[in-house]
Amino acid sequence: MNPMMSNARYFQYWRLCAAMGPVFLTAFLLCWGMLGYNIPPIPADHTPDQMAQFFRTHYNEVRAGMAGAMLFGVLYLPWTLSITKVMELINPDHNNIVSTLQMWGGGLTVVPLVTSSVFWLTGAFRPDVLEPVTLQMLYDMGWLLIDMFYAITTIPMVAIGVAGLTDKREKPLFPRWACWYSIWAGLSFLFELLMPFFKTGLFARQGWLNFWVEFLVWFFYILLITYYVFKAIPRLEQERAAKLANA
Amino acid sequence: MTELVLKGAPVAGASGKAGASAPGILTFIIADVAVFGVLFLAFMLERSGQLALFDSSSSALDVQLGLLNTLILMTSGLFVVLAVHAARQGQSVATRRWLLASFVVGAGFGINKAIEYSDKLTHGITMLSNDFFMFYYVLTGVHFVHFVAGMIVLAVLWFRAGREEVNGPLFGWIESGGLYWHMVDLLWIVIFPMLYLLGPR
Repeated sequence: MNPMMSNARYFQYWRLCAAMGPVFLTAFLLCWGMLGYNIPPIPADHTPDQMAQFFRTHYNEVRAGMAGAMLFGVLYLPWTLSITKVMELINPDHNNIVSTLQMWGGGLTVVPLVTSSVFWLTGAFRPDVLEPVTLQMLYDMGWLLIDMFYAITTIPMVAIGVAGLTDKREKPLFPRWACWYSIWAGLSFLFELLMPFFKTGLFARQGWLNFWVEFLVWFFYILLITYYVFKAIPRLEQERAAKLANA
Repeated sequence: MTELVLKGAPVAGASGKAGASAPGILTFIIADVAVFGVLFLAFMLERSGQLALFDSSSSALDVQLGLLNTLILMTSGLFVVLAVHAARQGQSVATRRWLLASFVVGAGFGINKAIEYSDKLTHGITMLSNDFFMFYYVLTGVHFVHFVAGMIVLAVLWFRAGREEVNGPLFGWIESGGLYWHMVDLLWIVIFPMLYLLGPR
């Protein structure tokens, strides 16, 4: 701890970064979900002609939605950093492996969010000249990437849970149940492993398990962790102020 | 600051003491069981629409192997209960002995499942054969992943019980591990009759 740095300076931007979680979520739902017609996704068993019909009808909404998704998708990064900063103070005398894993995993989660949007955007860019099977392939690639790269998001979710469970405070910064939820939610993404094998049913990309359950679990995780980060920051400010006073 | 904030040092992830509040792992267990519950519901709904197919496919499963696995998991679960009791009383040697017994017996489940999967795959029965076998592989496969995780937990607890007081902070982890292992039992107790026994044989 640098005693020369005031509390105000030390905790500057923490809340701003934490607020990026809900901002990301809201914007992503609007852009990627509603404008991009991804809630729910176009079923995997639709024909190439049906897919072409979709792109040739809704290309402008998809362009706007994916441009927005690529813009706001990066907000997952500052949100991740706010969690990292809190995690670093859960056990300040321990090494920072877990918080570093969380930072890298959360930061790299931006990659599938943004890259998958590029595939859908490409389909919407020239839908009039692209073959239906090409449009179908681009749409499939987007979903296969965003769903199958889940493990990069599992890492920070498990890391938060593990770090939170080692918190020795009488009242931990992240409650035990929230830590276990985070671990469970991250591991529950394993169901996505089944997604490439099915075009219909609960494990397909539009299936209730691999779409509705998994995405809702992830969205709730974002809100839950944001809430406890906001609760943790004033406590950490008080702890640091007390330590500075005793120094 | 460490002295200032690290008072009490409760057990991470668990109640910390026998009789204290429920371990946090219950959140994990409830969420997990809920997902399995929905999968069970989906299976029953799908089954009601394809009764003949599900019954004929179910008859291809080896009930004896399934029953043996049920007994294995229940026995292993009993040993975990005994390990938790021993840990509560501070008996490190007994705790380790029961954890090891639970692990060794539990390993039989893995061997049986390997034999069963191998047999099915040899006969060309895969997850894509039909909807029954889709559920068979998914339910037993996801359960198997939970089983492997549980075996790792038992091994880690056995290892740590040799180096720490079993009725200290480690007790919460032993209690949580025991609860998790019972969830693995419980899920199998539903999976076994649903997949292996439903329908005429």
